[in-house]
Amino acid sequence: MTSNPLPLNLSRFGGCTLTGALSVTTQVKDTVTIVHGPKGCTHHNFSLLHATGLDNDRVTIPDLISTGLSESDIIFGGEGALERTLDAVAERHIGGIFVLSTCIVETIGDDVAAVCRRHSKVPVIPVPTAGFLGGTFQNGVNNALNAIADTAEPCIKIPCANIIGEKNLEYEVDENYAEVTRLLTALGVPVNLRFLRDCSIADISRLGAARLNILRDDDLWTVGERLQQRFGTPFISSYPVGLAGTIGFLEAVAGGFGVKCTQAVREEKVLQEEILCEFEDISGTSITFDHQSSAPDAFRVACEVAGRIAVTIDGDGCMVPLPLSSPVGTTGIRRMLHRWRRAIHA
Amino acid sequence: MPECENPLWPCAMTGAAACLAGFEGIAVVIHGSSGCYYYPTTLLHAPLHGTFILENEAIFGSEHRLREVIEGLSGCGKKIAVVTTCVPAILGEDIRSMLEDYDVILVDSPGFSGDVEAGYKKALSVLAPAVDPATGGINIDGACLFDPFSCGNVREIMRLLGNASVPVGTVFCADALGNVGHAARYTVGTNGDFSSGAGEFLGGTLGFEEISKTFRRVASVFPEADIISVETEMQREDERIIKACDKFLRRFDPPHAVIFGGFSYATFAARTLKHYLDADILYVGTRNEPGTSPFPSGIVQGLSLVRELIRHHDPSLVIGSSFERSVAANRAFVGLTPPIRGMVKLSPHPVAGITGTLSFVENVLNACMDRKK
Repeated sequence: MTSNPLPLNLSRFGGCTLTGALSVTTQVKDTVTIVHGPKGCTHHNFSLLHATGLDNDRVTIPDLISTGLSESDIIFGGEGALERTLDAVAERHIGGIFVLSTCIVETIGDDVAAVCRRHSKVPVIPVPTAGFLGGTFQNGVNNALNAIADTAEPCIKIPCANIIGEKNLEYEVDENYAEVTRLLTALGVPVNLRFLRDCSIADISRLGAARLNILRDDDLWTVGERLQQRFGTPFISSYPVGLAGTIGFLEAVAGGFGVKCTQAVREEKVLQEEILCEFEDISGTSITFDHQSSAPDAFRVACEVAGRIAVTIDGDGCMVPLPLSSPVGTTGIRRMLHRWRRAIHA
Repeated sequence: MPECENPLWPCAMTGAAACLAGFEGIAVVIHGSSGCYYYPTTLLHAPLHGTFILENEAIFGSEHRLREVIEGLSGCGKKIAVVTTCVPAILGEDIRSMLEDYDVILVDSPGFSGDVEAGYKKALSVLAPAVDPATGGINIDGACLFDPFSCGNVREIMRLLGNASVPVGTVFCADALGNVGHAARYTVGTNGDFSSGAGEFLGGTLGFEEISKTFRRVASVFPEADIISVETEMQREDERIIKACDKFLRRFDPPHAVIFGGFSYATFAARTLKHYLDADILYVGTRNEPGTSPFPSGIVQGLSLVRELIRHHDPSLVIGSSFERSVAANRAFVGLTPPIRGMVKLSPHPVAGITGTLSFVENVLNACMDRKK
C-alpha cells in the first residue's frame, strides 16, 4: 500500500467482501456465481480472478454472471434484475448457484435472500456479501466458506485431514499446499478435501469426514470453530510458519492423529540445517526489511531465520524482501532466503 | 438481456482514473471503498489514493473522511482530483459543496454510469483542454493508462514527429497537467477510442495508409515539416511486411480471423490482415459502440458471446485480450486488447505508427506459423 500514505486504521484496507467470497465460490466446479450489482463490479473481480488463475497456470475461466444493474435499477430497485438472472441461469445444467451482493445493492435495500428463497429449481446459496458494507475481504472468505459448509452433512470420520481456507488469490497457493502435504505425508496423513480449492459440489459432502482441519491462517478461526461445532472436527489454526513453527506443526498434527512424529521431526530438523548451510555465504551481513504490507508473522519468522544464519538486522543494512504472507514450512524459508541472497548480491 | 456473463470491460470510474492518473501533477483520489480502489490500482500501475470509506461513513456521511484524505494530501504539491464510485454517488451527499473549500477537481463518474471510455471522456471534459495559440507543434491523443500499448504509441509518434522535425504539443493523457490548457492547434491520434477532442484533428496513426494521410496533412499545416524521412521509412517497412507475408502465403492459407477489441484497434487489425494477408475477417466484436466498418461487426461485452462467436465462426486466428485467449483453444492468438495477462511485458510495444504495424504483423505471422508447427 505504498501508493496510499494515509492508513488511519487497518479495516479500511481490508479489501472487498465480494472479492473474498468470489475467491471461494469460483473454486466450486459445476456452479455459477451471480454477482448482483453493476457489471463493473463483476468485471473487476473477473479480471482479478483471471489474472490470478493465469499466474497459477490455470486457463479455466470462472463462471460469473452480473445482474448488470443500470442507473434505473438503482433508482427503482434491482430485485427484478436478480429474479430474471436467476431464472436464466437456473435453465443451465449446473449443480448450484451462488448469489453474492454488492455494496450498491445493500445501499438501495434489495432483499437478496428473499429473492433467492423463491427459487428452488437449482440449489441457490446466497452468501452474505455487500462489498465494503459487508466487512472486509476476509469476511467474504469466511462467509462463503461457512455458507458452503452448511450444505454438507456430518459423516463417518476417516484418518485424514482437511485443508481449510487456502488463499486462492495467493501467487504461491499451490506451492504452499505442496509443502503442507509434504509434511503430512511424512506423518502418513492423507488430505481428504481442499475446502475450497478446485472442488465439485459432490466433493463438499466429504467435508465432515476428516479427523483434523488445518486452517490456512488464524483469520479463519471462526470458520474452524463453526466446522468443529457442526462436524466435531478439531483444528490447527495455521499452516506451519517458521523453523520452530514447522516442527511444532508436525507435533500438533501427530498429536491430532495419535501417531508418533519422532522420525519426521528428526528428518525435518536435518533438512532445515541443510538449507541454512546453503546460505552460509550471506552469514555476517546486515539486512533490513521493507515490511509495510507484510503479515506480522512474516517479520517474526524473518528474525528467527536471520538469527539462525548469523545475519544482523540493522536499519542501515541491505533492504531485503519480506513475504506478504509468512513463508510456509521449511521450503518457504528456503525461497525467502534465495530472495534475500539475490538482494544482498544485487 | 440486462445480465452479462463475465463482463469484459471496466467501468467508468476506472476510465476516469486512467485519464487523470496519466497527468503528472494530479493526485487521484478514488472516493469509495478499498474494493473499488484496488482494481484500478492494479490495472493502471499508477499511484492512486483512496478514501477507503467504511460502513459508518455510508450511513452517517463521508464528508469527514473525504476532507481528512484531501487535507492529508494537501502538502504533496499536486492538484487533487476526486473520482466518485457507485455508493458515494447515490448517497445523496453534495460532494461538490463538501469540497468547495479546496482547490480540487471533482469527476462524478460512478461505475454504473457507463464503461471505461465514458469515464475517460468525462474526466477529460472536467480538465477542459484548451488550445493555446502560442503553443507550437502537434498534440498526440489517445494515450490511456488502461491501454498496454499506450506508452509505446506515444514514443513511436514522438519519434515520427521528431523525424519530420515537428515539435510535440500536449500528449493526452500522458503529460504535465499544466499543458492541458496549452494544447497546440493540431492533433494526431493514436487510438480513436480515447480521443481528446482538443485541437484540429489531422488524423490517426493506425496503419500505413492512415499514417500517410495524416502526415500529408501535417505537411500541409506545417510547411517546414520534413515528412520525406517518414514516407521513406514507411515504404521500406511496407516492402519488408509484404515480403514476409508473401512468404507466409506461399506455404499457408490466409488466416480466418475473429477480432475482439476497442473499435479503433479492432478495425486497424482487420484492415491490416486483409491488406497484407488477404485474411478472411469473419467477425469484429467491439467492446465499445462500433463505428462504420466494412467488416461484419457488433458489440461484444461478455465472454459467453465471445465463446459463441468463436465456436460459430471456427477461426484459425483470434485477436483480443487474455480473456479471448482463454477460450481460443489451440487457435493462433495475438493480444491486442486489454487486459493482456499471463505474460511478462516490459518493453513498450506500440500499435500506432510504423513500428506498431510491424509489431502487429510480426506477432500475427509468428502466432499463425507456431500453430502450424
